[in-house]
Amino acid sequence: MPRLLKFNIFRYNPQDPGSKPHMDSFVLEETDSMTLFIALNRIREEQDPSLQFDFCCRAGICGSCGMVVNGRPGLACHTKTVDLPGDVTLLPLPVFRLVGDLSVDTGAWFREMYNKVESWIHTSKSFDQSAVEERMDNEVAEQIYELDRCVECGCCVAACGTARLRDDFLGAVALNRIARFAVDPRDERTDRDYYEIIGNDRGIFGCMGLLACEDVCPKNLPLQNQLGFLRRKMGITAIKTLFRR
Amino acid sequence: MPIDSTLIAGRPARWDGVLDWCQMLSGLGLILFMWAHMILVASVIIGPGVMNALARFFEHTGLAQVGGPVIFLVFLGHFLLAARKVPFRFEGQKMIWSHARMMRHTDTWLWLVQVVSAMVILLMGSIHMWVVLTDLPITAAKSAARIQGGFWLAFYLLLLPMVELHVGVGFYRIGVKWGFVKDRERKRFKKAENLLTAMFIAIGLITLIRFWFLSA
Amino acid sequence: MQTIYTDVLVIGAGLAGERAAIEAGQAGLSAICLSLVPARRSHSSAAQGGMQAALGNSVMGEGDSPDVHFQDTVKGSDWGCDQEVARLFAETAPVEMRRLAFWGVPWNRVVPGPSIYYKAGKEYEKVESQERRGLITARSFGGTAKWRTCYVSDGTGHSVLFTVDNRCAELGVEVHDKTEALSLIHDGRTCFGAVSRSLRSGELRVYLAKATMIATGGFGRIYQNTTNAVICDGGGHIAALDTGVVPMGNMEAVQFHPTGIVPTDILVTEGCRGDGGTLLDVNEERFMDKYEPEKAELASRDVVSRWMTHHIRQGLGVKSPYGDHLWLDIRHLGEAHITGKLREVYEICTSFLGLDPIRQLIPVRPTQHYSMGGVRTDKNGAVYGLKGLFAAGEAACWDMHGFNRLGGNSLAETVVAGGIVGRRIVDHVQGGEVLFNSAVIDAEVKRQRERLDGLISGRNGSENVYKVRAAMQQALQKGCNIFRDETGLSECVASLEEILERARRVGLKTNGAGASPELYAALRIQGQVKLALCVALGALKRTESRGSHNREDYPARNDRDWLVRTLAYWRNPDDGLPVLEYEPASPSYELPPGDRGYGKSEIISAEQGD
Ligand SMILES: Cc1cc2nc3c(=O)[nH]c(=O)nc-3n(C[C@H](O)[C@H](O)[C@H](O)COP(=O)(O)OP(=O)(O)OC[C@H]3O[C@@H](n4cnc5c(N)ncnc54)[C@H](O)[C@@H]3O)c2cc1C
Ligand code: HEM
Ligand code: HEM
Ligand code: SF4
Ligand code: F3S
Ligand code: FES
Repeated sequence: MPRLLKFNIFRYNPQDPGSKPHMDSFVLEETDSMTLFIALNRIREEQDPSLQFDFCCRAGICGSCGMVVNGRPGLACHTKTVDLPGDVTLLPLPVFRLVGDLSVDTGAWFREMYNKVESWIHTSKSFDQSAVEERMDNEVAEQIYELDRCVECGCCVAACGTARLRDDFLGAVALNRIARFAVDPRDERTDRDYYEIIGNDRGIFGCMGLLACEDVCPKNLPLQNQLGFLRRKMGITAIKTLFRR
Repeated sequence: MPIDSTLIAGRPARWDGVLDWCQMLSGLGLILFMWAHMILVASVIIGPGVMNALARFFEHTGLAQVGGPVIFLVFLGHFLLAARKVPFRFEGQKMIWSHARMMRHTDTWLWLVQVVSAMVILLMGSIHMWVVLTDLPITAAKSAARIQGGFWLAFYLLLLPMVELHVGVGFYRIGVKWGFVKDRERKRFKKAENLLTAMFIAIGLITLIRFWFLSA
Repeated sequence: MQTIYTDVLVIGAGLAGERAAIEAGQAGLSAICLSLVPARRSHSSAAQGGMQAALGNSVMGEGDSPDVHFQDTVKGSDWGCDQEVARLFAETAPVEMRRLAFWGVPWNRVVPGPSIYYKAGKEYEKVESQERRGLITARSFGGTAKWRTCYVSDGTGHSVLFTVDNRCAELGVEVHDKTEALSLIHDGRTCFGAVSRSLRSGELRVYLAKATMIATGGFGRIYQNTTNAVICDGGGHIAALDTGVVPMGNMEAVQFHPTGIVPTDILVTEGCRGDGGTLLDVNEERFMDKYEPEKAELASRDVVSRWMTHHIRQGLGVKSPYGDHLWLDIRHLGEAHITGKLREVYEICTSFLGLDPIRQLIPVRPTQHYSMGGVRTDKNGAVYGLKGLFAAGEAACWDMHGFNRLGGNSLAETVVAGGIVGRRIVDHVQGGEVLFNSAVIDAEVKRQRERLDGLISGRNGSENVYKVRAAMQQALQKGCNIFRDETGLSECVASLEEILERARRVGLKTNGAGASPELYAALRIQGQVKLALCVALGALKRTESRGSHNREDYPARNDRDWLVRTLAYWRNPDDGLPVLEYEPASPSYELPPGDRGYGKSEIISAEQGD
């Protein structure tokens, strides 16, 4: 006998004047290898076609489907129902603007983030079509990729108490982004340049070390280590700046 | 919601790094003090004489007279620094509590433990320091008399766990925040820290019991 | 209603679209990309394996050159490609990889010294040279003579897309995400932009541009089992087809990837086989080496998929509740390799199948993967039929892939074509003014409004959009799959014609307020069935087998009659079938049609008489 799963889902469509925030329940029979992707699509196709949620790759690599599953932010496509109790509560990610039901606007948030941390290589060189590429140690390349793996799902931000308390906090994802450029030899920014961006309470010194980011990140990015690395680096820069003036 | 710059007004963002150092160092200083403090007070377990000797040493060298107020200042400073991070408005409070309940995530709860214990310590610690420092010198006998009054026993029974929890969590947090503890060591470090906290509470309790039964 | 003016409008913010927008941005033009999802979630991010470029840095790529790459590509295409385009592509790819490195892609690099690699399940040693230390390295991929696939661990598409999007942010190229393009604004000769709908508020918005580009990726979601993301639903193709004057090229050329996992159809990378993974049958025995002694598992995708299907039909598949499948075996690659270089594969297996590929076999079957066909363009990326309209990437039929694209060639195509077409777009915009005709704009907006109202009010009927969609997917899956024949295809076309009538009667169950997912599906369904008909009818008419197009009733490749590209037009929105026309596959044949060196070899050559 397959289980009957009960889904309690947050509902609200801000674009519909008749809609008020509330919870709706749906019951589904569990099937083999069922994920929340399969479950939610079935609910939409069979029970309520107005249900909003975001999936894209349904393979855990694009970061679209972040939502709060029984209290924890995570990727829904990545969540197997066998790992869940019979009662599943789904909420949209906090911090981000709600689009409707389980769908939130991560795009706008992240675009703003790129601009704040200037998420690109800063170099004074220009590209030479005819030259061979600059050499790089494979180890360095792998180190960069390790931090480049973030899928911008927003789970670390939604799980962070600091981010929820102060809306100007950059969040672990942005700090990790800085760490990614800091290890990249192609980026010519100095510690002081980075300090301008994250050497304050909006940045690394705002982080209170709650480590929910580390614990929920679906790609297992080494956020704790990177945050520690940045705090020391920026801490030292703070002292240097103090004495240099 | 952000409450920064209301307490330390006009502070430009470039001071944030320095303030974070101060917060950590003041915390660390207080931890070291609390360990020293424990040695002083718990020495009564060995015997009132030992405690008296230690206290006399502090008195004669002037450590108590100068150190006391200094600690008090560090204590206040640490409070002001750490309080920058605490939400004092109602929405902030509501938010962080509901967030912790939703997440069921220990490290997030631990931060709330730190905030709550901090408020208790602020109040009770100040009273305690006032009482002790206005009634120098410190002797085992005076302490025992105070505690046997009953009121102070209850007082310490509350303050003790609050302090030890706050110290324990604070120590853990310094380790992970500054990257002294890496992700792989985190679990082990946390366990060790919990054990230490429990041990300190136990020593404190034994001390209190010793005071309770110490005949003046 | 909001009207937004820009120099360049790019529909699609995947690699192809953003790469082209960068050219516009660098030239000082304003550029806006529309996307269904935030740019970095575009499906390009899902490409794990890598991209081909003849850099020849690895020892295993020694002697490689754009010439060899060109030849591999043409052979891979089964001579269905435009050889001028394939040449242009092979020559440009190395520069483009270096440019990406300059922008920040953390390509894996040459590590000097000996290392072990696997081929066909056996261990070999290679020694990388000291003097190439730190240059961009490559791995092996199916259908190539040399190791030529540049990669970033197994997140190539992800890392490249992030880098390209970073560059867009730096240049101020805007991305309007959660925005769907509904239709093109045109007067039958020139394209002026697009009418779009916001997937935040549901509002319509007009974008007017001096040049418009379609870079909306593949349309795999018209199939039931596909490795494509749920947003690969053909929105761009539909907008182009709807104009009545833009043709779809070679829609019957659909690629099936050998290793989609069962049951969720998620792709595990070709890198698995490139690194030495093997395919096993129900008896856990290898079989590809029997069918293809030379290349075995590393023959091109069409060949491997075909033999897998053949093998399953021989009754050697593994039975499962989701149908028959085969096994992919990577156990011998070892834990370090699997959790390192193939980490994404490892994660897919553990989190979606609940199995451990270090110890267990992975259930796989051929799954719809790539659309070689698409919006037909010339070699400059200019779309046939409308001035000011361009296309690139998987959405386009530029046509370097012909009837089968090689692994690693399409991700490379996105940036190469994006760059080339982007520069052509800049020329076009700088070359002259465009006058916007307000009557044309108003008419198009009105048409879209009425379409929305019709669906919401239910005045066309009350067909359930999801049921119609499922019917379409089943029809294609059944009649227009890896093996095709006259009966199956005729049936498929007939049922799709019926389904098109149903699609015209779709009405919403909900009120369609805001972003409304139901409205989103309903807005596409007619167009999707039309695309399906282009695929099926093209396949029915093409009475030969070429690349991924396999006619069991016409097993030979017929260069005498079919060295041509199908062009499918939907002249009138109310028509029931597309109109098919044909053009030569290539303007010239640098590499004359011949034997690919793998796959079956029956060929009717151009010289042969009847
Ligand atoms: C699982 C998988 C793995 C792959 N691995 C490889 C590989 O290793 N090597 C390789 O060479 N190739 C690989 N491919 C193929 C390759 O990834 C794609 O062909 C390529 O990324 C397509 O890029 P694109 O820029 O054309 O489109 P996409 O990246 O798909 O972007 C399409 C864009 O268009 C937008 N869009 C779509 N419709 C609309 C609309 N109506 N309105 C507005 N915007 C719209 C989307 O939001 C998106 O931004 C793989 C494909 C898959 C499915
Ligand atoms: C007036 C009473 C006190 C208050 C209000 C207070 C408050 C706080 C708060 C809110 C934090 C968390 C700061 C953060 O994570 O960023 C904190 C951290 C800490 N506190 Fe206290 N505290 C008080 C007293 C003490 C005392 C008496 C000690 C030591 C015995 C102490 C030791 C620490 C330590 C070690 C930290 C960690 C420092 C860091 O994270 O950088 N605190 N305190
Ligand atoms: C310079 C300042 C301080 C001095 C001189 C001092 C001295 C003492 C003394 C003499 C006692 C024995 C009990 C008594 O006499 O009442 C005691 C107990 C205690 N003190 Fe302090 N103290 C100081 C600061 C603090 C601070 C800052 C804290 C924590 C916030 C603290 C927490 C405690 C606790 C919890 C006990 C009970 C001890 C136990 O059970 O082990 N004290 N202190
Ligand atoms: S760091 Fe992890 S949790 Fe945060 S956005 Fe990136 S992938 Fe998601
Ligand atoms: S949860 Fe938040 S407070 Fe810091 S450690 Fe992570 S960013
Ligand atoms: S849908 Fe892409 S990560 Fe879940």
